[in-house]
Amino acid sequence: APLAELSGDHDFQLFLHKNLEFTRKIRGDVAALQRVVCDTFQLCTEEELQLVRPDPPLMQAPLDQCLKRGFQAEVCFSQIRAGLHAYQDSLGAVLQLLPEHTALVETLQLDAANLSTNIQQQMEDLGLDTVTLPAEHRSPPPAFSTDFQQQVGGFFILANFQRFLETAYRALRHLAR
Amino acid sequence: SQQSGAELDCASVAVGTPVVPMGSAVTASCTIRRERCRGLEDGQPQISWLLDSEPMAGRQRRGVGGTEVSELSVPQLNRPQAKLWCCVEWNGTKQRVGMAEIRAGYPPGKPSNLSCLLDLSDYGLTCRWQQGADGHLPTNVMLKCATSRSPAVTGCTPPNGHSQCTVPRRLLQLYRPMELWVTATNALGTAESERLRIDPMDVAKLDPPTLQSIHSVPPQTDCVTLTWAMAPRNAHMEQCCELRYRAAEDPSWDVVTGIPGHAGTMQHCKFLFGMLYHFQMRCRRDSARGYWSEWSVGRNYTTHEKAP
Repeated sequence: APLAELSGDHDFQLFLHKNLEFTRKIRGDVAALQRVVCDTFQLCTEEELQLVRPDPPLMQAPLDQCLKRGFQAEVCFSQIRAGLHAYQDSLGAVLQLLPEHTALVETLQLDAANLSTNIQQQMEDLGLDTVTLPAEHRSPPPAFSTDFQQQVGGFFILANFQRFLETAYRALRHLAR
Repeated sequence: SQQSGAELDCASVAVGTPVVPMGSAVTASCTIRRERCRGLEDGQPQISWLLDSEPMAGRQRRGVGGTEVSELSVPQLNRPQAKLWCCVEWNGTKQRVGMAEIRAGYPPGKPSNLSCLLDLSDYGLTCRWQQGADGHLPTNVMLKCATSRSPAVTGCTPPNGHSQCTVPRRLLQLYRPMELWVTATNALGTAESERLRIDPMDVAKLDPPTLQSIHSVPPQTDCVTLTWAMAPRNAHMEQCCELRYRAAEDPSWDVVTGIPGHAGTMQHCKFLFGMLYHFQMRCRRDSARGYWSEWSVGRNYTTHEKAP
């Protein structure tokens, strides 16, 4: 359905408002973990870590389809879902980095899964094509050879995820009335 | 073949249906193996019954393999629980040689008034309900929940005798409608409550806001400006709030409703000059089933005197 039609649909607007709030919650939880990494390992800003960025670079889920003017909700939503799926896996490295914050990281993984399911179900409701991401097909989290690399890796996974969420949030907000 | 334990006993009692609707008939049979009953002399054993302590008469006949069988029919069992004793006369005494427990009751009553609340400390969904009429029988009660699209039914089991339990976060789907209902099952049937269809986030119990500042702006008016901060745990959530205030000596509160939580500031007028007022605020979700937070910590403010 063309975007114009979608934005007038009550259920779609309710979906957007609810999942804008959900995204705010997830962003808040990612920010909390970024504060933990900052407090624990003194890794606080990307600017200071340019020379030690992981090489090869860590996965950054693409959201280019959500950045286009008048983007296609269907394609953008699929990218958001694929990204949530990928970050769920990457967060496994943060679990290893911050064992004492397991509950918060696992909540984050659960929230990412829920948000992806919410988007999938809404797409189905709207009759949009959806790809079922096999829950059991998980990629192993990135591995690092030294403690310092693991800390830096954890820092960038969270930074990339936060950036991803900000873009996803803007896309959802663009569709919301 | 290995004989089952019962066949090695002096007597074995078999009951047609151990659990029956209240007031229904119960049938039972008692089989005596004389050779297994120590000290029971030859000759035909006289079998009799006790329903708890009430003597009952059965119909006795010779059974297979030299056994003696008595069949009993209790026309109406009117007590929730009873012991059916099989007895044999011996040395002028009534010997209890076998027993079966029988129960009478009703199918479980329908649970009702199901309501749920999401605790933001662990995102567990605690649901409460009213138990249905007592069936006087052992009853399994379960809270069941299903997300709108998945066939899987999960939920939680209340501790014995309680009418509440908590569905853990990992079984919930946030920001999407879920269905919840209570089932009560005993030997005579199952009863289900009405189904509650809610998004768990709509029944979140919020933390109260914090009143930050109160002052008269602009001065010389009967208006007061307040500012507040949302509780960190629910700062990302859309909420609507209400403010209550009262003059120090006045027991009754005035309430201002429909305040958007995220505004963070509001102005209200018609205050008396030179008066000490007490303020509190609370918030809740913008949904019909939302729960109010507790009232915030109170804050006092004395309005300025009227200009001469």
